[in-house]
Amino acid sequence: MAKISIGKAPGNSAILPFYATGAIMFFVLCVLMIFSPESFTQHYFTPHLLTMVHVAALGWGTMIIFGAAHQLLPVICEQDLYSERLASFVWYTLTAGMILLTSNFWNLTVGWLMIAGGSLIVISASLYLFNVLKTTHVCDRYSIQKLFITSSAVWLLFTVTVGLLLAINLKFPFFKQSHLEILKLHAHAGFAGWFLQLITGVSTKLVPMFLLGKSNKDFLLKWAFAFQNLGLILFLIDGYFIGVTARVIIYAAIVLIGVIFWLLYLYDTFKNRLRKRIELLMKHAFLSFLALVISILLIPAVYFSNGYRWATLYGTLLFMGWITSIILGKTFKTLPFIIWNDHYKNFSGKVKVPLPKDLYSEKLTIWQFWTFIAAFLVFALGIILQQVIIIRIGAVLWAVVAVLYNINVFKLLLHKRKKIS
Amino acid sequence: MILDPTNENYDKIGRAELALYEVIDPELMVNIVDLGLVYDVDIKEGNKIKVTMTLTSPHCPMGDAIQTGVINVLEKEFPDHEIEIDLTFEPAWNYDMVSSEGMQQLNNR
Repeated sequence: MAKISIGKAPGNSAILPFYATGAIMFFVLCVLMIFSPESFTQHYFTPHLLTMVHVAALGWGTMIIFGAAHQLLPVICEQDLYSERLASFVWYTLTAGMILLTSNFWNLTVGWLMIAGGSLIVISASLYLFNVLKTTHVCDRYSIQKLFITSSAVWLLFTVTVGLLLAINLKFPFFKQSHLEILKLHAHAGFAGWFLQLITGVSTKLVPMFLLGKSNKDFLLKWAFAFQNLGLILFLIDGYFIGVTARVIIYAAIVLIGVIFWLLYLYDTFKNRLRKRIELLMKHAFLSFLALVISILLIPAVYFSNGYRWATLYGTLLFMGWITSIILGKTFKTLPFIIWNDHYKNFSGKVKVPLPKDLYSEKLTIWQFWTFIAAFLVFALGIILQQVIIIRIGAVLWAVVAVLYNINVFKLLLHKRKKIS
Repeated sequence: MILDPTNENYDKIGRAELALYEVIDPELMVNIVDLGLVYDVDIKEGNKIKVTMTLTSPHCPMGDAIQTGVINVLEKEFPDHEIEIDLTFEPAWNYDMVSSEGMQQLNNR
């Protein structure tokens, strides 16, 4: 047998429950949007919007990312995951915490249940960080992707800890600064620390793998890391000690430079690729990056304008444009392979077996792609015009996207091995 | 991988290589020979087939499946032989190792 260990993929319990819960929570999020469209025309600190934002951030984004990260960490670090049991356990704490927190946000029932939910999420982030550190610790080679993933896990813990303090502050006020000011710091530590750095690290490993592309410009990623972190840290320090002022635009520009360095690296990979045909699922990634850049460019409008439309559009671009689009695309570049490995790995070469792409409906992903674009445009139009009816139509389209996505995810998760001939 | 016609096991190695064309990388949907993953096939002690091969990257999520595929196709072709895989990352696989046929297949996927 092979002399070099190529390691094992972690067990399904460390991955699949996260995908299943993430898919369901995406649908729940869209249903909440249908029933509370007026939340998108009001101040962002309202119970219903707070609920939806946390369903999106924890139930949808973080849930899927945890599942994918448990699968991808061994690929990136070229080592087995440190603890599969810990990875599986995190699903219980994250799911319970997310449900407790979001259900108490809906009517803003402040108190111990909300604090317990926040605590469970802090426990989840701590355990995830521990697993990441122990897995990356034994990495033989320095890799910038490892740095991004470790840093994102640290930022996640920071974000959810501040979130817990905010939940405590609602019941037992202790922050000297305004609750809303700290909320801005909490939200942006999540965006630019957790999501941005995780997506940067993982995409710079996966996109070259999927496109069979290469780039020798690793220095771009080092600059991306430096600028993304510098902008965020300056924003947090300034925001905490002085308050969020127009200087936020400078910090946003620094983060944007970091984003551009990252995208330039991906573009270099794209130019030097062997696979010339661009799959639909990769087009989702492009839309995702576009939404991110537009959202950052919108920050001056968010800061200087009156009313809430630009702030709401900014959040929508980040959650429903950037994070949702990348997940919609990448799910079908990872999950089918996990399911295929489980069912057909041992039969490869022995008998005719289906390919990973045969385990889900490609046709539905085409519908998903176009409905996603329609949903996003209608929803954004509703927010810009501040028309509840248009927002609701957009939310219905989002629900269609979620149904299409769920059908394919559960088609994969419930796949039964075909009769082998 | 170059076949040497003067090698006493020329026929066997040829058959083994042909069998290896059946092993498909499930992600790229191209066979591993055209992808350039197979570095060498050697016959040792009469009934031992040694395949020196690589993967597109260490800890490739499909690495296990590809190696199982290699063993399965060779055991099918040579039921009375022992199969050995020597997995190496030196030299590391790179895009120049893909054959022109493999390139064509990649562009059609």
